[in-house]
Amino acid sequence: MPGPYRRKKSNRKYTGFGKDLKTKHRSKDLDEITEDLKPVNVESMIRQKIDYDLPGAGQSYCVHCAKHFISEKALREHLTSKPHKRRLKALEDEPYSIEESERAAGMGNYIMPKKRKVIDHDEILDELEEKASSMLEEESGTVEPKTVDSEETVVK
Amino acid sequence: MRIEKCYFCSGPMYPGHGVQFVRNDCKIFKFCRSKCHRMFKRKKNPRKLRWTKAWRKAHGKELIVDPVFELEKRRNRPVKYNRELWQNAIGAMEKIVEIREKREAHFIMNRLKKGRELEKERDFKEVERDLCLIRSACAGEKKKEKVTVEQAESDEEMESVLENGQETVTVIEDGVVKKRTVNGQPQPIQQQQQTIGYGFTVHG
Repeated sequence: MPGPYRRKKSNRKYTGFGKDLKTKHRSKDLDEITEDLKPVNVESMIRQKIDYDLPGAGQSYCVHCAKHFISEKALREHLTSKPHKRRLKALEDEPYSIEESERAAGMGNYIMPKKRKVIDHDEILDELEEKASSMLEEESGTVEPKTVDSEETVVK
Repeated sequence: MRIEKCYFCSGPMYPGHGVQFVRNDCKIFKFCRSKCHRMFKRKKNPRKLRWTKAWRKAHGKELIVDPVFELEKRRNRPVKYNRELWQNAIGAMEKIVEIREKREAHFIMNRLKKGRELEKERDFKEVERDLCLIRSACAGEKKKEKVTVEQAESDEEMESVLENGQETVTVIEDGVVKKRTVNGQPQPIQQQQQTIGYGFTVHG
């Protein structure tokens, strides 16, 4: 687990939040993002339908940071950036939950948070492609056994 | 009515206290005070802030696993009123709290024991390393030298104490050794006197 937050702040007066703290501007929490990253939901998050109200029509989206980008190039740039890498690291820990807060308060035994492996954007795309190709194979595979059967029958 | 637990610091929230935040996926987050609410708004992780229960438990500062924690739980099933059950429950709660406090204190004391052991070890090491500050490494050798000097001194004193029935004292004046009686009258210098090493006189 990474260490605590920095105790000494170099500039205490500058909070750097402002309007970002309002509920209106609230971005997704880590537990929501973990939900998005589940294999069931990933595809719909990473390949979104065209929506002209969103930046870049919703075509370049970073699931880990829950952020839309205006172009594929901007997304690529983001993927190599520090904030994205920091987010990947933060996602390695299990997200904090209401249940955990109750267990910490003495309602049941406290369970230590576990480490997980986080898959980056490109790896997710690769996996999706593999999945699609395997699906295609399966479809073709359903045809193949029939041919095998027919061969066997021929041999017999 | 319930005493809820704060989402952030896991502290108790009595009726009429705290704030709730309902996220757009219907999850309800409860905060005991504005401090916790503010930290949540800033997306802080309670596991990384030392003043929360989550930090203390995640870092092994407090008792984590114990059957004592099994009594207090969220039970959403309503139970028909029964005086005996109610009395038993109240009695059990008091007893369990007593046991829990004892065990938690015991755990912390055990944890601190290790620190004390390490401290002792560190002290021993420090003393071993800086022993020369307490006692010089060559202290024994000097003592032997002193003994020989003291012997020479005592030999000389024996002679100077009494001469001709009068008490005399050897005094060094301008590099010349004189003998004086206690009355203060100077005596003529004896020619046999010799000076040897260490500035002591020997009467031949």
